[in-house]
Amino acid sequence: MKRFIKMFSLVLALCLVMTAIPFGHAEDEVIDADLTCTITLGNWPPDTAADAEKALFEGYKATMARQYPNVTLVPDYYSYSLSNYVPMAKGHTAPSIFQPPFTDPQLLISQGLVGDVTAALEKFGVLDQFSPSYVEMLADENGRIYGLPRDGYVLGMHINIDLFREAGLMTEDGLPMYPRTLQEMAEYGQIIKEKTGKAGLVFPASETYGGWLFTNIAWNFGCVGENALEYQDEDGRWVCNFTSPQCIAAMEFMRDLRWKYDILNADATTTDWAGAHSLLGTGEAAMNFAADDSVDQPTANKGLPVDSFALIPFPAGPEGRYALAGGTCYMFSPDITEDQAIALMAYLKVLGKLPFLDDQIISGMRADYAAKRDRGAPVLPAISAWTDAEYNAAKQAIIDEYCNVDMRLYADFFGSISDGTIALKSEEPIFAQQLYRELTAVVQRMITREGADVEKALRKAEESFQEYLDDEYNDY
Amino acid sequence: MSSKKGRLLSGSRSSEHIKAWLIMLPSLLLMTFFVWEPLFESVRMSLYKTRNVELVRFIWFDNYLSVMKKDDFLQALMNTFSYTFWSLLIGFLLPIVLAVLIGETRRCKGIFRTVVYLPNMLPGLAVVILWSSFFSGGATGVLNILLSAFHIPPQTYLTRAEWVIPIIIMIATWKGAGATALIYMASIAGISPELYEAATIDGAGVWQRILHIMLPAIRKLAGTLLILQIISVFQIMYEPMVLTKGGPDNASLSLMQLMWQYAFGGSMNYGKASAVAVTVTLILLVMTAIYSYFNRKESDWD
Amino acid sequence: MKKVQFTGVIREYDMHSASVKVGYGVIHVLCLLVTVVAIFPLIWVILAGFKDLKEFMSSTSLLPRSFDPAPFITTWDQLGIARNYLNSLISVLGSVVCAIVFNGLLGYGLGILKPKGYGVVKKLVMLSLLLPTTISIVPLFMNIQKLNLGNSFVPLWLSFGANAMYVILFVQFFESLPRSIIEAGHIDGASQLQTFFRIVLPLSKPICAVIAIFAVNAAWSDFLLPYLVLRGAQMQTVMVRLFVFSTEQTVNADAMMRSVVFSMIPPIILFFIFQKQLTENAVSVGIKG
Repeated sequence: MKRFIKMFSLVLALCLVMTAIPFGHAEDEVIDADLTCTITLGNWPPDTAADAEKALFEGYKATMARQYPNVTLVPDYYSYSLSNYVPMAKGHTAPSIFQPPFTDPQLLISQGLVGDVTAALEKFGVLDQFSPSYVEMLADENGRIYGLPRDGYVLGMHINIDLFREAGLMTEDGLPMYPRTLQEMAEYGQIIKEKTGKAGLVFPASETYGGWLFTNIAWNFGCVGENALEYQDEDGRWVCNFTSPQCIAAMEFMRDLRWKYDILNADATTTDWAGAHSLLGTGEAAMNFAADDSVDQPTANKGLPVDSFALIPFPAGPEGRYALAGGTCYMFSPDITEDQAIALMAYLKVLGKLPFLDDQIISGMRADYAAKRDRGAPVLPAISAWTDAEYNAAKQAIIDEYCNVDMRLYADFFGSISDGTIALKSEEPIFAQQLYRELTAVVQRMITREGADVEKALRKAEESFQEYLDDEYNDY
Repeated sequence: MSSKKGRLLSGSRSSEHIKAWLIMLPSLLLMTFFVWEPLFESVRMSLYKTRNVELVRFIWFDNYLSVMKKDDFLQALMNTFSYTFWSLLIGFLLPIVLAVLIGETRRCKGIFRTVVYLPNMLPGLAVVILWSSFFSGGATGVLNILLSAFHIPPQTYLTRAEWVIPIIIMIATWKGAGATALIYMASIAGISPELYEAATIDGAGVWQRILHIMLPAIRKLAGTLLILQIISVFQIMYEPMVLTKGGPDNASLSLMQLMWQYAFGGSMNYGKASAVAVTVTLILLVMTAIYSYFNRKESDWD
Repeated sequence: MKKVQFTGVIREYDMHSASVKVGYGVIHVLCLLVTVVAIFPLIWVILAGFKDLKEFMSSTSLLPRSFDPAPFITTWDQLGIARNYLNSLISVLGSVVCAIVFNGLLGYGLGILKPKGYGVVKKLVMLSLLLPTTISIVPLFMNIQKLNLGNSFVPLWLSFGANAMYVILFVQFFESLPRSIIEAGHIDGASQLQTFFRIVLPLSKPICAVIAIFAVNAAWSDFLLPYLVLRGAQMQTVMVRLFVFSTEQTVNADAMMRSVVFSMIPPIILFFIFQKQLTENAVSVGIKG
């Protein structure tokens, strides 16, 4: 994780020192005419997709055809979900490449349902530039790599500035006076609710979201290290711990958000991710725990002007300041051959997902940022999955050209990541979805029943999740 | 022709029988592929420790024990009975009342009949999504807008553990009650008017005629519809899945939804999912057996 | 003036009593109320479709600010609903054909031919009627994958060819057909299959119509198996799309309401075309749709 932060500060430092970029192969050059295989590509844009998107992928296909004339690309419109992937992998009908969220790779790897691309990455000379924080998510215990990050995010907080202004929470510089701690969040939320009648905080607590967001709050209350929500003991058994004083304090805070401060939106337990963005974007809620990769949701998608939107770091808790980092990745069918693995890496290189920049990739980036700017979505620096400094600096320079926002509204978010004031943390290591499900139930109980017994509910969830860990891992 | 048994084939020529089986063969293969084999496979999988779709080892009833000792199973089981209870309270009587009411109308009967059937034609998923806006909390929920006309402050609905199940049943009833009512109406329409007239001569009022002539006439049909309704409510799944995701705090989690969670909700434990599925099937079979036992007794009295 | 008939418990002679008269008025008022409850949500969802996201999320009025149909057109285009309609149509047509042919043939075997040993099959089918289909969705989906039939409409079509309830309805109807006509045809030397298509099916138009309507409605509304089988956006039906919207949250709440409207239009049209068959035939034949 530290290396990841270091890497990030390097990126920002290098923004100014824009120098010559090592361009990759010229696009028309044949790279390997001998490589002969067929790869099926999931998430290919369907006929109903926007023309620009279809053209983009046709472009990728044409480039591949020039560079690797004997690699056949078969478009597959498959979009991943765990429910349909597993039987497909077992039935040998999974596409060669697909895009699961970062919650699933470890599960898929442990069950042998995805293909190994370590050798292919080595062949492209990028294995050692792979960001270590991603190695943890996409490799097995032997360091074999099974996936590449597609896009990453860091959890922070979205702010509707209009509501902050209405509530008088503005600094002299015209910036929102945003909460730096969870305590301040609760207090500011109260002020907002009082002054505007709108929800201070939208908390999507349906299905697994509630637990997902709660883990980040719990970390900031000290549920890390020896107090972690789940950890492996000396015998290698996974143990869950929801009843540490830290976790109880965090859950009491959740309960207070509803009953003491009363800043939550009305239907928190049925609000989902999109619902939360809608509430913030339409001015029905002032704050939403959300990440840098979803800034287009409240703005371009739900209609909030970029001037009224800010992204701030996750508020600190009494015991620390952590932010969840995650995203989606590319993974591969368990049936791929060595040749197919190479062809797939070549394809990802054409997509610009390996640390190489050529004219085509650069023009693709430009088109992407221009489109974002036109839609009214903030164009922001991206968090890179590669430690290659020159590559990262070159990318940053392009982003700067298209920036359409007052970076002061984002400065603390990105600054806190680069200067290390906030520590990035990936999701709980195993069976995260089930952990979220258990904790969501507790969160829902806290915010729907006044005076619910925190410790009792957490103990119940702990027993249930421990049984799950025993069944699925410890006694497997 | 052995027309006594209504058979078209003559008993002697076996080639005819083979041909008849050949005609049924494609359909039987489909039934096997889509219904019987998967069911058999479910039972088998429920007895194995599974690693996604592979059977790892035979473990007898461990999946069942492991599933059943968990709180969420008990909760889901109780919820499912609670769904059934509410469905009987709201969903069983309402169609009978509707049938009686519409049956008595003289004007616009056709319109009433058409309109109450309409919701049944709508896709269930669309209906659930539509109603979710009715029950959304805050001032913008449709129900709250309607209540505000009576100066009632905005309420929350789907976040209340004690309200979610009745609400979901109300939505299901909105969709299904009209169609069921028409079945009752058809049955009621079959009652001879002379019966009513004879009763009137004996001095029976409207209520007595309903109680002593109409209701007994539909009693058997009501029994059949009751068991069908229980079977279908017992399998309730996508309504809570879409509306509340089983929340708050599992208050609307149904057994079938629990099955879906085991299979597709992130843990891929198809063995346990099958154990839940088979348990539901067994409960249904037992209930059907009880019903047909009592039904047989009733027919003896007739 | 057309004389209105009394058809229910309340007879002409009851109308002399004042309390019955009042009660009779109350019945009409109640029925009117029921009508409003049945229709209001539909009208509301159409009204909601005219709102944009901001209005949908914040407005406390049931009526939209304007009745500009532009949002509907935008949603239609943006989400490519035309494509989903086409997919649904393909799925529905194949399903209806399979529902009639395969269940009809099995019903013919069990209801008319009755070869030796048919009783066992009939019992199996009756038993299947009680079993929830969702229960075995996992192994069924695995079977489909093993035959590499994923991402195709074929398994969805065929799944309608294996419906226990349709088989039973066919059997019940076939058993009520006059034996003599079928036997006459059979003696004429027609093979069993010819008898089915030339004699039995033409006699069975009412039941075929009812099953067709049931199958259309079920195939249009179905989304769990199609969601697992039709993997990408290319082949998704309208209801799969709606399910994906509701679970993956790719669509704004206002567009969601318009998608709901789009998903309801074909069944509603179908309903108004076939309302007589539906409210009369379907009811007399069917237990439930």
